[in-house]
Amino acid sequence: MSNKAANGKAAKIALTFVVLAAAFGVLLYSSLGESLQYYKYVDEVMAEPAAWHGKNLQVHGTVVPNSIGKKDNTLEYRFDIQRNGKVLRAYYTGVVPDTFKADSEVVLTGRLDDTGFHATEMTAKCPSKYDAAPLTPGSRPSGGA
Amino acid sequence: MASLGYYLLLAAFVVCAYAAAISVAGARRRSRALIESGIGAFYLLAAIMAVASAVIVYSFVIGDYSIRYVQRYSDSVQPMFYKLTSYWGGLDGSIMFWVSLLSVFGSAAIYVNRERHRELIPYVVTVISVVEMFFLFLMIVHNNPFQTYLTERPTDGTGLNPLLQNFYMAIHPPTMYLGFVGLTIPYAFGMAALITGYLDDSWLRAVRRWTMISWLFLSIGLGLGMIWAYEELGWGGYWMWDPVENAGLLPWFTATAFLHSVMVQERRGMLRVWNVCLVITTFFLTIFGTFMTRSGVVQSVHAFGDDPELARLFTMFMVTTVVVSFGFVIYRLPLLRARNELDSWLSREAAFLVNNWILLFSAFFVLFATMFPTLSEAVRGERLTVGPPFFNQWMLPIGLTLLLLTGIGPLLAWRKSTVENLRDSFLIPVTLGVVTAVAVAALGVRVWTSGICFALSAFVVGTIGQEFWRGARVRQRATGTDVFTALVGLVARNKRRYGGYVVHLGMVLIFFGFAGEGFKQKEEAQLKPGQQVKVGSFVVRHDALSITDDGQKQMITAHVTVLRDGKPFAEMYPAKWIFRKHEESPTTEVAINRGFAQDVYLVLATFDAATQTASIAVDINPLVNWVWMGFGLLALGIGIALLPDAVFSFATAPLPANAATTALIFLAVVLSQGVALAQDTIPAIFRSPLERQVAGEIMCNCGGCRLSVSDCGMMNCHGKSGQMGKIQQYIAEGKDHDAILATFVREHGGYDVLMQPPNRGFNRVAWLLPYVVAVIALLGVAFTARRWSRHETAAPDAAPIDRELDARLEDELRNLD
Repeated sequence: MSNKAANGKAAKIALTFVVLAAAFGVLLYSSLGESLQYYKYVDEVMAEPAAWHGKNLQVHGTVVPNSIGKKDNTLEYRFDIQRNGKVLRAYYTGVVPDTFKADSEVVLTGRLDDTGFHATEMTAKCPSKYDAAPLTPGSRPSGGA
Repeated sequence: MASLGYYLLLAAFVVCAYAAAISVAGARRRSRALIESGIGAFYLLAAIMAVASAVIVYSFVIGDYSIRYVQRYSDSVQPMFYKLTSYWGGLDGSIMFWVSLLSVFGSAAIYVNRERHRELIPYVVTVISVVEMFFLFLMIVHNNPFQTYLTERPTDGTGLNPLLQNFYMAIHPPTMYLGFVGLTIPYAFGMAALITGYLDDSWLRAVRRWTMISWLFLSIGLGLGMIWAYEELGWGGYWMWDPVENAGLLPWFTATAFLHSVMVQERRGMLRVWNVCLVITTFFLTIFGTFMTRSGVVQSVHAFGDDPELARLFTMFMVTTVVVSFGFVIYRLPLLRARNELDSWLSREAAFLVNNWILLFSAFFVLFATMFPTLSEAVRGERLTVGPPFFNQWMLPIGLTLLLLTGIGPLLAWRKSTVENLRDSFLIPVTLGVVTAVAVAALGVRVWTSGICFALSAFVVGTIGQEFWRGARVRQRATGTDVFTALVGLVARNKRRYGGYVVHLGMVLIFFGFAGEGFKQKEEAQLKPGQQVKVGSFVVRHDALSITDDGQKQMITAHVTVLRDGKPFAEMYPAKWIFRKHEESPTTEVAINRGFAQDVYLVLATFDAATQTASIAVDINPLVNWVWMGFGLLALGIGIALLPDAVFSFATAPLPANAATTALIFLAVVLSQGVALAQDTIPAIFRSPLERQVAGEIMCNCGGCRLSVSDCGMMNCHGKSGQMGKIQQYIAEGKDHDAILATFVREHGGYDVLMQPPNRGFNRVAWLLPYVVAVIALLGVAFTARRWSRHETAAPDAAPIDRELDARLEDELRNLD
């Protein structure tokens, strides 16, 4: 194989690669749009709530004790989540995770409006085997945020 | 004990360093003695790690709670089985387990190849030792599993998380690790080839089997993880693109790509740089996956620890790996030039190439989307996330394209396909696919992606069926035997190829199951006793709520009747268990009624004991079980590819020389089941035959042994004595056999209390399977026997009709295995 031919082949491969990469890059970027979710803590959102209205949002906070209310005979929940003193009212309908209770850490996915945060999904930080709750003094601090 | 363990780790590190150094010295001086010494040191490492493992397991068993790791991941009431599996229950132990496994795997690989690939071995030892050194170093300075409490010594442990006290979770991590660890071996051989410059294809032959075995473990590990998520987490699905899941999937993609592209190199001498890079990338991704999930770089719902120190150590190791590995690739580029070029895009090698690109793109995409929150935070200073819909949106078309290629690839000829053989080989599979597509459309299937998936599945099945059929016909004509023997002979002559087809069939089943997701139905309802909810064609009625306690946990069980089209369908018992010491996190005990067409999946979400109200989540999951069956078939396929030649000797041998032995082995396998059932391991005293029978059918609830009450070997097993007491009580009450079993199921809240599933519905399949296998095996023996007893028939047809196919097949047979 002559050097020139090899160069030509390398150029072809490079060109193909660049074109493919660019095409997929554009596709990837454009498809990101609708599925992007902002991941924010309660206090970040509450600093300027109006700015977040209507955006796909994940809010991370802890459940305020005694704030959980549930409509009888339904699965409609209303509760507050807070971080650093900022509180957000949240609504959720559906089955809640086992670990959802006062002072538990939750991540809610949904949208914000004037009445509060309407969550379509709730994830409670689930305990992991790699991070058992340190009940004894001296063990490593637990992870999470 | 703790200090002994720690000193063993230190010793292991020293031995490892010695093995690495002496091997390099031996290779450079061409000194056999030094090389042998390095190999010996590596065996010693395996021995030391085995002792260290024994020490930590012993500490778990005797409950030495002065060791932090033991204290955090076990407690005194934990069943013995989970005490043993607590070894890999946490980060520190899993690193140690990883090192131990790698030392054993590495020793085996070195032992097998030490004569055959003498020039590579010293560097193989070096590479594996260096990887081991990193993890040993990590343990010694940062994650020492033998760390003790300095001042106050706790009297009991905090216990393993109840969610992890599940059979699948106990065996899922080791399977996963075996896959990860196994992929270090191809990397070590690849690096050894790069370092020494012996870059002919011999290193590939050395690692082919190891890659297949690792791939098998990785696949099964992923499957077990899915089953665990499905049965234990109770959200109704099995995959949600969590970083931890993705970490296992990344190397799976690249390893799959390697298994395919390696064939192109063996056959055509192409893609040589590509293959080395794939091996390196795969290894890198196993390390990166560990790093990603354990260091807090990516936040996951699993809340793995946030550990910047660990992140720094890992980053250093990964950067070094990448620089050194790819540095060698660039240095050796002149030796890696391809021997051939691509002749045509209508060729099998082109199909493999496309398959590789797609798999690699999948790995890249999953990596990108998993790292997206971290990336966006680094670039924009703002944490943005993408959810499972984004993954699905991309992976769905990618998956379908891969499925399509699975059907196309085997139909293309190497080098270049002619129009005639395209027409010839595509006719049947394409027809099958089109017919299925039309049928699916005619039946009014709403979900078009699932429809496409069904059609593609039919196409692939058509391809595979045709390959088996045509191959068997050709061989039948050539050898003059019956079709069955020809088929076995065909597979035997070409285990990798036909084993691979069986794996493809497994993948088709898995995709078939995925397609069922499109028809999923979900409903959540709060029900008082007597109230019901309708989901699709099913009606779920809540009958009652019961609360029981067995000493280790409190069990809240909903008694639910499921009706289908007005007729009783099943009694189901979803429950919540609240373990002592883990009151803050009750576990969800899902009730699943399995079937070929769908699973009825019930979760007791919340309950109110005072009003007997239960909120129940109902999932109708169509076709889920096909996914699990697919994984089974996949394992079978790899098994075929890995079988030693001797197993098939009966079908390939010209004369039935080994006939008697093979037949005996066959019969032994078939009969062993009956023998195992007939055995009575632990003699126990029973007052009546009924008592003995029931005791053999009820599972001991000590939690870990998974044996029947009559077989549980623990002398003072509280679970056993409790169950035995109940059995005696029910017999005294005059209940008959079925009534006793029914009572146990009701009280326990699930069929898992029974040793064997009751004989009805889908459960019949579980019952039938051994018999089906036995019948098939017997038929096989009969066929072969008939063939042997027959006199040599006339010479095969001198002029095969299908000359071209015959030539193509023989050509491939010669070259592939």
